[in-house]
Amino acid sequence: MDPTPNSPRASSPKRPADKLDARALARARRDAMLRRARRIRRSVAAIAAALFAAAFLAIYVQLASGNDPALSSTSTAASTIVASNTTSSSSTAAAKKTAAKRAAETLAAEEPAAETSSSGSGETSQSATPVTTSQS
Amino acid sequence: MSAREVKDTFACFGSSCSVLVTGDASAASAAEAVARARHTLLGWHGSFSRFEPDSELSRLNRDPRTTVPVSLPMALFADAVRGAGELSGGLVDGTLVGEIEAAGYRADLGAATDLGAALARAPQRTPAGAGGAARWREIGVDFDGATVTRPLGVMLDSGGLAKGLFADILAASLSGHDAFAVSCAGDLAIGGRAGVTRAIRVENPFDGAVLHTFDARAGAAATSGIGRRSWREETGAPCHHLLDPRTGRPAFTGIVQATALAPSALLAEIRAKAAILSGPAAAPRWLPDGGVLVFDDGSHEVVAAPPRVTLGELAAFARPFLGGGARARLRAPPPPSQHRPRSRGRRWRSS
Repeated sequence: MDPTPNSPRASSPKRPADKLDARALARARRDAMLRRARRIRRSVAAIAAALFAAAFLAIYVQLASGNDPALSSTSTAASTIVASNTTSSSSTAAAKKTAAKRAAETLAAEEPAAETSSSGSGETSQSATPVTTSQS
Repeated sequence: MSAREVKDTFACFGSSCSVLVTGDASAASAAEAVARARHTLLGWHGSFSRFEPDSELSRLNRDPRTTVPVSLPMALFADAVRGAGELSGGLVDGTLVGEIEAAGYRADLGAATDLGAALARAPQRTPAGAGGAARWREIGVDFDGATVTRPLGVMLDSGGLAKGLFADILAASLSGHDAFAVSCAGDLAIGGRAGVTRAIRVENPFDGAVLHTFDARAGAAATSGIGRRSWREETGAPCHHLLDPRTGRPAFTGIVQATALAPSALLAEIRAKAAILSGPAAAPRWLPDGGVLVFDDGSHEVVAAPPRVTLGELAAFARPFLGGGARARLRAPPPPSQHRPRSRGRRWRSS
């Protein structure tokens, strides 16, 4: 049976020009996808580098200005001992920090001296009294 | 700050100590904390005296064993001696016991000699230098076992290092109070939860007047000098307790007193001693957090700390450049004219 001129098969065959268009379109789509992936990759890399540089700069400035958080007043004794021994290994530094902390905790847990705590020998005042540093 | 400040001043370490505490902490009231600190300092005075034959320090110094069990504060002190040598490049040497005794400091000193008269008879001014022996390098500390290891003959001199260390340990134990200040014979540690600003006065070694005042909320200060612990040899030559490690003799460098600010009292003590021993030219470099130098002629120099930058300040500075712009670019949708649908297919068609 001969196909009728209006059958779908008769109209579906693509012309060579259409095939070329489809290939060009596919290539263009692929190139665009690659460009987009490259753009995203570059953005991620740039943001990561910027964040790293900002964090590095912040920490560098903080330490270079002598404002090391490890030397804050809340952990003075422990951090001082650690900071003072510049050649200590990390395990030694940790042991030292623990020892200083233990010394402070032991002190805090001690019973106050009876002769001073009960007598109230200390004076009281309402403002932060100035202190004087002099030769010992 | 409505809480009252409790303070106590008492004789200790051959000088005067003060403890000031404001506000109660969970562990103790201010009065209890002050009493405890006083009790502890007086106890340490007994343990760390070089002049008491039964003190822990004297027993350690004459112990024939290489490794000696010690208390935790003694272990920390031994480590501080080694750390001071390392930090100062050998200028601050806490092992010069033989030298200081040979110079005449074998017992508690009486009244100090007149500083002006001592300077008039002092030898030529020369910066001190590190000693060749560097015995502080041979000190080892085991904190877990609480032992000190050193060769026989290496002895420790408590001196100012111990006072700085004590101030730091006390400061750590008082950090739960609103405000505190500990003065261990002039080595200061201040701080507290309330962040109260406190004035730190620097005393003039010649007349006792206030030379300069620093304001600080937390941190430490220490002063070292040649005026207080001083004496005369039989020949009349002036002596004091700050020895030049290179010669083992009292150092006359041109500086009579150095005050150092630091995050901790021990570090401040090391800096102050290193500053005075290194002489006028090099001394300011030992005061990175600021301080005061007093020279032979009575003049003084206030060394200012460099401006500090905190992370918060840096973040505030950087926000207009980084935070706001970058965040806005990341979060804000593109303008309508550049808006592209999320679908790849549709986007393709539109282009």
